[in-house]
Amino acid sequence: MSIRYKILNVIIAASVLFSGCGKQLDLYPHSQVATESLTEKDIEAFLNGVYNMVQNTPTNSSYVMFDIIGGNLVRGGASGLGGYGEMINDILQPENGNIAAQWNGYYSALYQVNNLLVSASKLENAQRKAEITGISHYFRAYIYYNLVTRWGGVPILNENTTEKKARNSEAEVWSFIETELTAAIDNAPAFSNYYYVSKDAAKALMSRVKLAQGKKSEAAVLAEELITSGRYQLDGFEKIFRAQQNSEVIFSLLNQTVESGINLSVLFYTYAHPVSGSYNYKPTPEVMNLFGATDTRKAISVDTYSGLDVINKYPSGQTGTDPIIVSRLAEMYLISAEGQGLAGLNRLNELRAKRGLTAISPVGEPAYLDAVLLERRRELLAEGFRWYDLVRLNKAKQEIGLTEAQLKLPIPTRELLLNTLLEPNDGY
Amino acid sequence: MYKFYAKNGYCITSSAIYPLSEKRWLTFIKNPDFKKWLMRIKLTCIFLMAFFLQISLASRGQQVSMMKKKASLTEIFKEIKKQTGYDFVYKYELLKKGKSIDIDVKNRPLKEVLNKCFDEQPFTYSIENKTVIIVPANKPVNVIVAPINIKGRVNSDSGQPLPGASIQVKGSSKATMTDVNGEFTLAGIEDNAILVVKYLGFISREIEVKGQTTLSISLSENTQLLGGVTVVGYGTQKRSDISSSIGTFKPNENNTRPVLGPDEMMQGRIAGVVVTSSSGIPGGKNRVSIRGIGSLSASNEPLYVIDGIPVTPSDADLGNFGQSMNALSELNPNDIESIDVLKDAASASIYGSRATNGVVLITTKSGSKGKGQITVTGYTGIQEMARLHKLKMADPDLYVTVINEAVDNYNMQNGFAQGDGKYVNSISNPYPNRPATDWLDLITRTAHSSNLNLSVSGGTEKSKYYISGGYTNQQGTFIDNELKKYNAKVNISNEINSWLDIGLNTNFSYSNNNRVPSGYNLGTNLIPRALEQRTFDVPYKPDGSYYVGGTNELLNHNPVQAIMEEKVYLDNYRLLANAYANIKISKDLSFKTSFGSDLIHTQDYVYYTNSHPYGAGVGKLYDDRKLQTNIILENTANYKRKFSDLNVDFLLGHSYQKVNNSLIGVEGIKFPSPSFDVNVVAAEFTEAMTNLYATSMQSFFGRANFSWKNRYLLNLSLRSDGSSRFAPENRYGYFPAASAGWTISNEPFWNNSKSDLKLRASYGSTGNIEGVNAFAYQALTGGGYNYNNQSGIAITSFGNRQLTWEKANQFNAGFDLGLFGGALNFTADYFIKNTNNLLYSKPTHGTTGFTSIISNIGSMRNNGFEAAISGNVDLGSVKWKSDFNISFIKNKLTALLDDEPLLIGRTHVLKVGEEVGSFYIYKQLGIFQSDSEVPKAQYDKGIRAGDVKYEDVNGDGKIDVSDRQILGSANPDFTGGFNNTFIYKNFDLSVFMTFSYGNEVYETWAGGYRLGNGLWPMLESEALNRWTGPNTSNTTPRAIWGNTVNSSSSYSTRFLHDGSYLRFRTVSLGYTLPESFLKKIKVSKMRVYVQADNLFLVTKYPLLDPEVNISLSPTTMGEDFLMSPQPRTINFGVNLNF
Repeated sequence: MSIRYKILNVIIAASVLFSGCGKQLDLYPHSQVATESLTEKDIEAFLNGVYNMVQNTPTNSSYVMFDIIGGNLVRGGASGLGGYGEMINDILQPENGNIAAQWNGYYSALYQVNNLLVSASKLENAQRKAEITGISHYFRAYIYYNLVTRWGGVPILNENTTEKKARNSEAEVWSFIETELTAAIDNAPAFSNYYYVSKDAAKALMSRVKLAQGKKSEAAVLAEELITSGRYQLDGFEKIFRAQQNSEVIFSLLNQTVESGINLSVLFYTYAHPVSGSYNYKPTPEVMNLFGATDTRKAISVDTYSGLDVINKYPSGQTGTDPIIVSRLAEMYLISAEGQGLAGLNRLNELRAKRGLTAISPVGEPAYLDAVLLERRRELLAEGFRWYDLVRLNKAKQEIGLTEAQLKLPIPTRELLLNTLLEPNDGY
Repeated sequence: MYKFYAKNGYCITSSAIYPLSEKRWLTFIKNPDFKKWLMRIKLTCIFLMAFFLQISLASRGQQVSMMKKKASLTEIFKEIKKQTGYDFVYKYELLKKGKSIDIDVKNRPLKEVLNKCFDEQPFTYSIENKTVIIVPANKPVNVIVAPINIKGRVNSDSGQPLPGASIQVKGSSKATMTDVNGEFTLAGIEDNAILVVKYLGFISREIEVKGQTTLSISLSENTQLLGGVTVVGYGTQKRSDISSSIGTFKPNENNTRPVLGPDEMMQGRIAGVVVTSSSGIPGGKNRVSIRGIGSLSASNEPLYVIDGIPVTPSDADLGNFGQSMNALSELNPNDIESIDVLKDAASASIYGSRATNGVVLITTKSGSKGKGQITVTGYTGIQEMARLHKLKMADPDLYVTVINEAVDNYNMQNGFAQGDGKYVNSISNPYPNRPATDWLDLITRTAHSSNLNLSVSGGTEKSKYYISGGYTNQQGTFIDNELKKYNAKVNISNEINSWLDIGLNTNFSYSNNNRVPSGYNLGTNLIPRALEQRTFDVPYKPDGSYYVGGTNELLNHNPVQAIMEEKVYLDNYRLLANAYANIKISKDLSFKTSFGSDLIHTQDYVYYTNSHPYGAGVGKLYDDRKLQTNIILENTANYKRKFSDLNVDFLLGHSYQKVNNSLIGVEGIKFPSPSFDVNVVAAEFTEAMTNLYATSMQSFFGRANFSWKNRYLLNLSLRSDGSSRFAPENRYGYFPAASAGWTISNEPFWNNSKSDLKLRASYGSTGNIEGVNAFAYQALTGGGYNYNNQSGIAITSFGNRQLTWEKANQFNAGFDLGLFGGALNFTADYFIKNTNNLLYSKPTHGTTGFTSIISNIGSMRNNGFEAAISGNVDLGSVKWKSDFNISFIKNKLTALLDDEPLLIGRTHVLKVGEEVGSFYIYKQLGIFQSDSEVPKAQYDKGIRAGDVKYEDVNGDGKIDVSDRQILGSANPDFTGGFNNTFIYKNFDLSVFMTFSYGNEVYETWAGGYRLGNGLWPMLESEALNRWTGPNTSNTTPRAIWGNTVNSSSSYSTRFLHDGSYLRFRTVSLGYTLPESFLKKIKVSKMRVYVQADNLFLVTKYPLLDPEVNISLSPTTMGEDFLMSPQPRTINFGVNLNF
């Protein structure tokens, strides 16, 4: 055999070895694994993933959407000549990108939650199985609460599907949420750390859900259970909104900088602010005037920085993210106050006292309701309540001049086009 | 010290006559001292050339005085040399035959003296440019017609010498060949003789001598028919044997442009190949489309194969800065020998699953046998943004007037009064006496660029080399934007013995791109940022600090601050190398093995100082790095044989390629001061990650070429690709192709020897894989979805095990016609390409949990006609060389999953029967001239007279998404290029135009039109044309606050424009210095030129550049985001050959 054949043989042999008969084509990702390869041991990681996704997918503005379209905010920066009406009209369009992103975001989070429910059903440890199931039900209820308040009836997905689904009625969605929360209250772990879902978190949400449906006394009962449980106390804004340990929060998404893209702060601060933000939204003059001099919420809620009004509840600006509070005791005080009617005046005044305000004594239910509502506006500013408070109490048209159609968000055009079974909301 | 310069066995001396025998001569040039000296001389020459172009010529007289007895000729020549400075050129052997002479002259003219010396000698002489050349006198001197001796050189158009070219005296048997330097001599021919110059693959020429004794003859390459070889997949093929559709561009000094990469070089040169810039910033990405839209997925780019290595279509950046950069611009265009574009399936399918969008083969230069060649090229010039007057903004007074008109209209229409929560306040100019600020002017500049490139090449029978180095510095037209690039290349090959040759091609580059924000998805795209500023604002406060955007003092980001307070660069190190060994197993059979790699290290660095709007007041640094290794191992066997009339050529091959990506990224904040700019000092890391992923492909391929009597051609090929991107059961794809050709002009009945005709037809399959992510078939659960510092996972994709190759079947038919011995060539092709299983991230309803799923979504058809004409016309003293190409391509979506139209992007749709790239928008009918015209549903939404009237397609009174229509397309009806080169004496003039007709461009950036929707400034033209009352305008609406119907968020024909254009792409004027002069400075060729790139644009498009398009993705095709336009460039350059 001449040398040239020897060389040739070596080359061919080496090539065959190198390419390994097609095995080289079996490549797998390092940052991902095939879903079918997951086992029970991965369920805790899945659970963390659910917290992460529920927190991240609905996008930044979803958390303050109801302030944006509720007359609390106007455009900051370039377009801010005052007048929230124009901004609301502009946002409440079927083609608005934020609205589509929220729709997709909530369903994207739901997909993970539904998966977790399926996975958790295989768990052998019965207690942990119950807990994780309970947490999953809580998140499902939380997601559907956000969906139903925005769009009314939406498709209820008990399990994931790629099929196109028609809308369920609004009542069906509310009843689904209640079922879910009942399951959560029964199964979720007891409260230990407000950055995790607990039975109390489920109760707090249930109380909000009852109030939304006008089941006032049921709402008040649940709220009272939490107020009187002894586990929570009203606490100072400087703790609650500066990420310090406090006794008020029932459930909050931790929203750590490294784990999240949700940065509410940049929506509110200006670029000239020390930690800088995009100044997308600024408080209306009315909001700036909400707080009296003695109100301990004032400095933490709003600020004026080099002549520009800003929301001050989220302090990090571009340097990081801040926790996003879902339920805290003050809301329970307010629900209790509203749910009991005038009988709940004590709760209202207790909260006011804590915030540095004097007691009030409104005459008659309507005046009392207005007082509760005003307190809600002060207490829960930039926490995503205002628009729906006005809508559920049928005050939106009169207070901020919304049209009938604007009492719901439009179903996004994109979704209507891709799922022809969906009916648009009236007026869009 | 002696000095000499040698050529061809002759010896020329300057201070002494120094004849050398062949052997001594060789020892001499091998002497390293000599080489050093030669190099030094040449470098000296370069500098002399650059700085002292005017060297004074002959200074000494031509009178000779001498008295000698029995003197040898060498002695006499030495003396003459001393007195006159004339050199003598002769062969040692020849002079030995001469006899000694007696001479006695006083102040006699040189010629007289020489005539005396040569009287009765067996040789004669000629004088050429102060050189006396002594040649044998081989025939008796004819007294009546004085014979002349000719020295000459044969070059290609691009200045490369053509060794072995034949020169024949017409009507005589006298003939010679050029030597390795392309030079020849012909002695004793008549001064009115005609020379016939021929060289294989080039167009033959007849040259009239007309008494000239030196000739420089350039031949044009015959690229169409007769000529040479063409690069094809895995080898080369004789042009005449090709039966598929391949377009070739060979850069030379007349068609070169000051570009960064091979993709730009192709622009307008090859029929059916459309290259558009996505931005005019240095190193910006270009969009290359071959025969129309090949795919729906974002990647519509052809496969680039550089010296045999298929490179991955990755961006040069890692996405930190919101604009894709071009990895091809890291290459050195000066190193490119040819670009061959495989257009039809038959030529491309040997690249199987990556070939649907065409294949671009880039071959770099190699050395050739002969004396070493040194080439130095360089240019320097300036660049500026053209057509900026199209963006003239309303001045402060007009701006305030329009905004207040908008606000008044709003308050009035809604009945809002002052004190009302919804009342909108009017504005005023806080600086009434300040002149308007030209914000664009503040951030743009006249940029400078320069390029220097040096290459040496040469070789012996067995070893060849090409070595080059290049430096490019290109400033951008935005301040602070600058790209620096360093290239080095070594290509060597060596025949070890009779059966083994080996070679290595390497290509190293380092580029450093100092970037400015010019992407469209990062909020600081500079042109819009400049236009968004109110013209009464200024960038700096009186104390020198910045006005910060997002405040009452400055509404939007300060673009000056955005540039000055960031440090952004992109560093790329790239080593593209390929080593091979070729083993001849027998006379006919050879085996080639090669190992190639493309290693790219990228650093994408973005640092915002604490004063930058994005610096969060503390400084923020994104530092991402990637190492991409693309490794390929390839083995091919080749069998070539001629059986009487049948030529066969078989190829069989195996290839394995793996691309590995390793990433690291750290995002830090809180820096002590702006001068600290690495993450080690960051007080906090907001993100830190590493990642690793790979794809691999294994392929088997084969090809068989048959040619019978050089008339009937048949070409069959098959490739099978297996990719890691698909499920094992769907992993392999098969891509067959066949083509046939009939060279009619080789038939016996064809009796016109000066024309050629070949008919071609082909059919085959190609695939596309780039739309598929590395692991798209797997349902994946991703990590990194953490919570409270606990690791979390989430399902990140569905997975689609059914996912399969996108496959195109393409039919091509064409012909090549050559007339007048190749002086006029015509090529035309017609093709139909049906693409099935189109891969696309199909938008899906959000309730699935995802917004898109990668799917095989549908089918489409491209069909088209393309033609190229090239001609060489001799207009007496002017040579005219012309190339024209044009292509007409039609696209149609033929099937879609679910058959329902898919709205994609903002302005586009996918709809069966329609073009991909169609605009799907509202049609503006005009402006409502009175309130009574407004339908009730719209009136209720606040529409009034002066607002835009859209066509209500379904007649329901409302304007919603169902009223959108297909109104125009981003695809042109036809595109092409037209190049003309005129050569007159030593001057050459090239005019290169590119054109596109029938494409629409959507002006996505429409801030200038908002007329009161927000405080955005507006274009002066829009402000002046606005509706102010009945019949004041039927195109531009009124100024109205808070109205989305008139604004850019209503996508309508109002923002759609005719994007047809004719661009004077390049005009260059060159002058080649006369050889007689160059001899003096020992330069064999020198050309100086001035060149204007993008000199002039003829278009109706109202903004900057209709060609600058964001992408070929069907979601954004034909959209102008007002990114940086292609600059207008004026360069001065010089090319030198030694």
